[in-house]
Amino acid sequence: MSDHAHSHGGSEGHEGHGEEHAHHGPEHYVRIWVILLVLLAISVLGPMLEIQVITLVTAFGIAVVKAFLVCKYFMHLDVQPKYVLYFLTVALAFMLLFFFAVAPDVMNHEGQNWTNVAAQEHIARALAEQGHGAAGEAGDFDAAGVFATTCGPCHGAGGAGDGAAAAALNPRPANFTDPAFWADSSRTHEHILTVIRDGGPAAGRSPLMAAFGAQFDEAQLEALARFVESLNPNAQ
Amino acid sequence: MMKPVATTRSAAGISTGMLAVWWLLASEIVIFGGLLASYIMHRLAHPEWAEYASHTNTWIGTLNTFVLLSSSLSAVLAHHAAEKGDGKKAAKYLLVTIGGALTFLVVKSIEWSIEIHHGYTITANGFWAFYYVAAGIHASHVIVGAIVMGWVAWYANQNRELQRVEMVGVYWHFVDIVWIFLFPLLYIAK
Amino acid sequence: MASQNENFFLKYFWSTDHKIIALQYMFTGMAMALIGGYFAYAFRMQLAFPGAEIPLVGVVTPHEYNAFVTNHGTIMIFWVAMPVLIAAFGNYLIPLMIGADDMVFPRLNRLSYQIFLLSAIILVASFFVPGGGFGGAWTAYPPLSADGAYNLTPLGASMWVTAVALEFVAFLMGGINFITTAMNSRAPGMKAFDVPIVIWFIVIASILFMASVGPLIAGAIMLLFDQQIGTGYFDARTGGDPVLYQHLFWFFGHPEVYVVLLPALGIVAEIITVFSRKKLFAYKIVLYTAIATGVLSFFVWAHHQFIAGIDPRMANIFTVTTVLISIPIAEMCFVYIATLYGGSIRFTVPMLWALAFMAEFLIGGVTGIFLGASGADIYFHDTYFVLAHFHYTFFPIAIIAVFAGITYWFPKMFGRMMSETAGKVHFWITILTFNGIFIPLFVLGAWGQHRRIYSYEHFPDLWELQPLRIFATTCLVIMLLAQVIFLVNFFVSMLRGKKAGNNPWRANTLEWTVPSPPPHGNFETLPVVHRGPYEYSHPDHDEDFWPQDAAPAAESAS
Repeated sequence: MSDHAHSHGGSEGHEGHGEEHAHHGPEHYVRIWVILLVLLAISVLGPMLEIQVITLVTAFGIAVVKAFLVCKYFMHLDVQPKYVLYFLTVALAFMLLFFFAVAPDVMNHEGQNWTNVAAQEHIARALAEQGHGAAGEAGDFDAAGVFATTCGPCHGAGGAGDGAAAAALNPRPANFTDPAFWADSSRTHEHILTVIRDGGPAAGRSPLMAAFGAQFDEAQLEALARFVESLNPNAQ
Repeated sequence: MMKPVATTRSAAGISTGMLAVWWLLASEIVIFGGLLASYIMHRLAHPEWAEYASHTNTWIGTLNTFVLLSSSLSAVLAHHAAEKGDGKKAAKYLLVTIGGALTFLVVKSIEWSIEIHHGYTITANGFWAFYYVAAGIHASHVIVGAIVMGWVAWYANQNRELQRVEMVGVYWHFVDIVWIFLFPLLYIAK
Repeated sequence: MASQNENFFLKYFWSTDHKIIALQYMFTGMAMALIGGYFAYAFRMQLAFPGAEIPLVGVVTPHEYNAFVTNHGTIMIFWVAMPVLIAAFGNYLIPLMIGADDMVFPRLNRLSYQIFLLSAIILVASFFVPGGGFGGAWTAYPPLSADGAYNLTPLGASMWVTAVALEFVAFLMGGINFITTAMNSRAPGMKAFDVPIVIWFIVIASILFMASVGPLIAGAIMLLFDQQIGTGYFDARTGGDPVLYQHLFWFFGHPEVYVVLLPALGIVAEIITVFSRKKLFAYKIVLYTAIATGVLSFFVWAHHQFIAGIDPRMANIFTVTTVLISIPIAEMCFVYIATLYGGSIRFTVPMLWALAFMAEFLIGGVTGIFLGASGADIYFHDTYFVLAHFHYTFFPIAIIAVFAGITYWFPKMFGRMMSETAGKVHFWITILTFNGIFIPLFVLGAWGQHRRIYSYEHFPDLWELQPLRIFATTCLVIMLLAQVIFLVNFFVSMLRGKKAGNNPWRANTLEWTVPSPPPHGNFETLPVVHRGPYEYSHPDHDEDFWPQDAAPAAESAS
């Protein structure tokens, strides 16, 4: 249909004959290759201006143009039966569908009545690390923050056993804000520490509670255990 | 083994082999599509990834893009020769294409060694995890393509099964196109 | 064509003949169904008699319970429904029904079966490695599936993912083969609307599979790396997103339902036309409806995630699309009923199965509407109501339609008839006990009973309903025992059954014009097609069937 609209008119002697062989000579392929290389050069040089719009246009706009050239002139997609193009396009369209339907969940970190605390805190921590270099590891350990990101998915950010994953777990994750939890006299400081370090089964508790000994050093585990104990409503 | 009559029919107006290759590409589009969609979502949602991405080496990426674009040219020239019925020439061009594939892989492995040496391993963070998996799956396609082209070239050199030159060529152009998109996604957009 | 001195191994294990490969898929699928049924027996017995010593199993530990439930689901969908409905029937029927001598890529076909077999072996082997089989549910959600410290099956989980990924590769190869064969190798004269519906549906299903499985293949690689290398794609602590996995899974997982449903519907279409001696009502509408269903099935997946923490605005959209998709399926049911209307119906065993399919699937479809509404789903999610709902869809698909297909094409596959009496006994026991299993589970689910719980002893208000669980388990045991009738009937008929002849059902489609079983190469002379597949009781023809390749008598025009 739009064959001629897209062709590189001037540079070609055979234009307008509507003959497929016009596109088939080796010189023609070499010409396309040269165009591709020029485009490649532009897409590399464009971002050096360090203007975001130009970067995006030169990087992705040119990628689309290059892909178009390869599809049309190297793969000869235009001379295949029409349905080939249709089903390839449909496959691509499903991927756009996938992107746009999943993006609200994965890309947004907050929305109508919800917040992805874990992602926000991860980003904040990572950006802070980049700012400070690699320093500031052990000294200022933020037990509350680590609790929210590491323990929060199950135990809830506030420790009430209501994390996002809690509904799917059986037995349910412990609710540290429940006085009944602390009424059990076996829950000593040592016990809490053991469960965090070696996991639930090590202390005869739920097998769903994982071991975190590998992620934190003793001082950090100690801080985490103290934070958990601070959630005990009777302790305050 | 003789080919079944079924293979030689073309009720859909296209050779059976080419039809299968197009469907193969459709399935590849969704494999790479799912992976890249996941990557783009994370990339847009994580401002801290910009800093991670700035450590990729644009020049090595450019070199590899150049290698793949050029190998695509030799693949299409092989197809051209096969259409003319010149199997020997087609085989030669395919060997050049295989050379391109090997160059790509060598450059890639040097690049990865440097990066791993600097501590940018697959477990370093989310960006590098996607970087290695996306480029790794693409590289595995390069390897498969090189092997299949060797097999096709072997036949073409004896002037047999020349229609396969076009099929493997189309597959190769697709591998090229995937890289055309991986290149800005992983190297340029920083 | 086939060389005469093929030995037994080459003939049955290394064959490129589409019929042998189809039977390989079918027998592998049947063997896997027995394993899946055994798992169901084990965990249902545990639920009915918690902690008891179960015959043939022993005491089921909580860990084993999880592994049984997980692998029951995985096996029944990926290693029973898929291989039998798509691969076995697809392989057997496509070349025969379109009048070709084989699939277009016979060696690719053989390779796809071998990869499939390898995947089945890996899955079964995962039960014998340290830690045992994977127990993180057939959906394998992270974080549970992504970390050996959580699921306690570091090896089993990775073998599970590997097996599933290999299985996908096998079906991608098979699918490309099916699509290409059906598109390109139709007999001369066979136009698009002369293709039997079952072939169309298998092809549409293969396309759906191909277009949806990609993200999950990527997801499986990511999950495997999370498990084994320690990347964090799905780990919120390192900036990953566990919900992303759910999307990757269900973007494939929901179209997958239609991937297995469509071949089942196709088999039913073939059978009801033959046994009501009537043309399929509205061939083109059936076809367009199937295509619409296929497209729509890509727009509904997030209804599995209503309470998984997805954006609530998305939940609204997905509720609408989910409820919409019941329209084409309902239409399909109406079309089939219209086909039956005014036909001269024969209640043979395949016909009974086909009718049962429609009745039982209807229940599955109607209960799905409750779950598709995001508000109601907050209550029903992850209860036995969901479980009973999808068993009312999957059981008709993977079991009832498969029995319909096997009993219908058995004469063609093995050249002999199955016993009608044994078939009917088997049919009625299976159908009655099936309802006996799952109707109580609807009640339990509406009562609030959650899935994936080892024992309900510690839930006083659920424990009251224990008699329902015992009833369901009893029905299951009877149903499993009834399958012995089928297996005996199957193997005895294969050896001793009445000779079937070429066309025992007096059907029109091309596979019935060749000897039973068809020789390698299928047709002595490749057929030419003159009419559509459903010309039963045609006014211009004396007999009540009119084979597709029968040359028009005398009249050259019209």
